[in-house]
Amino acid sequence: MESENNLSEIKMRSVGLDLYYGEQKILENITLDIKKHSITALIGPSGSGKTSYLRCLNRMNDLVDDSKIEGKVFLDDEDIFQNGYGVVELRRRVGMVFQRPNPFPKSIYENVAYGPRIFGINDKATLDGIVEDSLKRAALWDEVKNKLKKSAFRLSGGQQQRLCIARVLAVQPEVILLDEPCSALDPIATQNIEDLMAELKSEYTLLIVTHNMQQAARTSDYTAFFMLEEQGKPAGLVEYDDTSLIFTRPKDERTERYITGRFG
Amino acid sequence: MNEELAAAVNTNPTLMEKRAPRSRVKRALLMDRLATLVIFAFSMLAVIVVIFIIGTILKTGLLTALDPAFFAGKPQALRSGGGIGPMIVSSFYLTLLTLLISLPVGVGAGVYMAEYAKKGRLASLLRFGADTLSTVPSIVFGIFGMVLFVIRFGLGYSMLAGALTLTLINLPTILRTTEEAVRSVPDSYREASLGLGASRWQTIKNLVLPSAMSGITTGAILSIGRIIGESAALVYTVGIFVRYAPVSPLDPGAPMAANIWHIYTEGALVKDWLRVANGETAFLLLLILALNLLARLVSWYYEKKLGVTG
Repeated sequence: MESENNLSEIKMRSVGLDLYYGEQKILENITLDIKKHSITALIGPSGSGKTSYLRCLNRMNDLVDDSKIEGKVFLDDEDIFQNGYGVVELRRRVGMVFQRPNPFPKSIYENVAYGPRIFGINDKATLDGIVEDSLKRAALWDEVKNKLKKSAFRLSGGQQQRLCIARVLAVQPEVILLDEPCSALDPIATQNIEDLMAELKSEYTLLIVTHNMQQAARTSDYTAFFMLEEQGKPAGLVEYDDTSLIFTRPKDERTERYITGRFG
Repeated sequence: MNEELAAAVNTNPTLMEKRAPRSRVKRALLMDRLATLVIFAFSMLAVIVVIFIIGTILKTGLLTALDPAFFAGKPQALRSGGGIGPMIVSSFYLTLLTLLISLPVGVGAGVYMAEYAKKGRLASLLRFGADTLSTVPSIVFGIFGMVLFVIRFGLGYSMLAGALTLTLINLPTILRTTEEAVRSVPDSYREASLGLGASRWQTIKNLVLPSAMSGITTGAILSIGRIIGESAALVYTVGIFVRYAPVSPLDPGAPMAANIWHIYTEGALVKDWLRVANGETAFLLLLILALNLLARLVSWYYEKKLGVTG
């Protein structure tokens, strides 16, 4: 596997991470190393905390009232939950693509230019360049280059999701979190997104939450299996390994039962 | 499996009939028609009432209202042939001044309630206060404004005293429509914006407010309609009759609605008082109709700009 070349390079790492919503403990003791320039898939049944975990990595859970974190999450060896760590800068470096395509009610151009504008780039030529480059990277340029001023809502679902990816790429992130990015898309649009992820891997570190076992097997280098043992108890990480090993020789019996479709 | 089942149901009418006997289907259809007819009749009744009112007002006053010598003319206290120029100026002046005060405060408070306070105790108290205020009769505000602004603050009968009084009436509406408009902006927009590294204020300024603009401006324009149509709150704060248009905010004025009330109740000193009152009423009605139309256009414009339609 090609990513074995940089096995040693770890981009993000969570150590003994616990997540609480109010009194309820949602996640318990998640320790996971996310390797640079690779795709890590998070799989597991509904309610097993995959999305909640993903939202810890760019501190989107901060937006939930009374959410609380214990343990540590590192980005390039810096604890992102330490006092005084810049959340705004963190979210620029760790971008997020959501389950449903959520373009802004603006033109295609303004959607992509939104992030750069936030960071103070107002020069027309520079913005034009960023928009074109981001749309090209998101494999959307050819389809939209003649209608950049049109509303983003006029695009199809698959195009909207690629626009959302372009919007994230425009702020030059290092890590991209994808929360079931294909769940609202048809098979062809899904294929496009998967191809795109393979392209992006060389420059970015990707994490994808997916319910689709084939998708995890097709696209990812590493797979983490999350599970909720019992209702009311926190979810945990059952097994984490190379995707090829998880899908052929899982170590844990629960993983095997899940990927062979016996529950979940 | 399912196809077989479907075929069986199709070829076996008794299966369908057991679930919905023919007589019952017929009755449902009849009730459906009847309900549609009743609903249609009621809505027609509402339309007819509106048309009747508008028709009567226009019939008695339209010709006068559209005569430049009337709407740009000088009011007369004793002789016939007076116009309503200063009254129109008063109404617009008052509207502008009120919006100047109530828009920043109302929109600011509405955004605060929707984005920051959300479920806090202070917010529910504020919301309760706003909802209560909006049910208070405007004459109560008028007396309150007279006691506080006109007498206590020494503003006298003036545009400013009227604008402050109207702000009390207007604020709850603007606050609540802003809050609703901001609240109806989907959270997915906010998440995407924050996820790109925007701060909370940047998200509000660049995304939430533009998305809520249609609702906020519609609310503002409808509240203009309320200001222009207000009379009771202004009788004791601005005035009911002037000969010259107000210039300074401390000048008295005579907003149209207050002036109409004045003419109908004690304006019989001039022989053509009915002509003046009817003409002014028709003019006011046309203005309010135009404002409502404008509200629609603005809301449509913003929706189009956002790409929701078209």
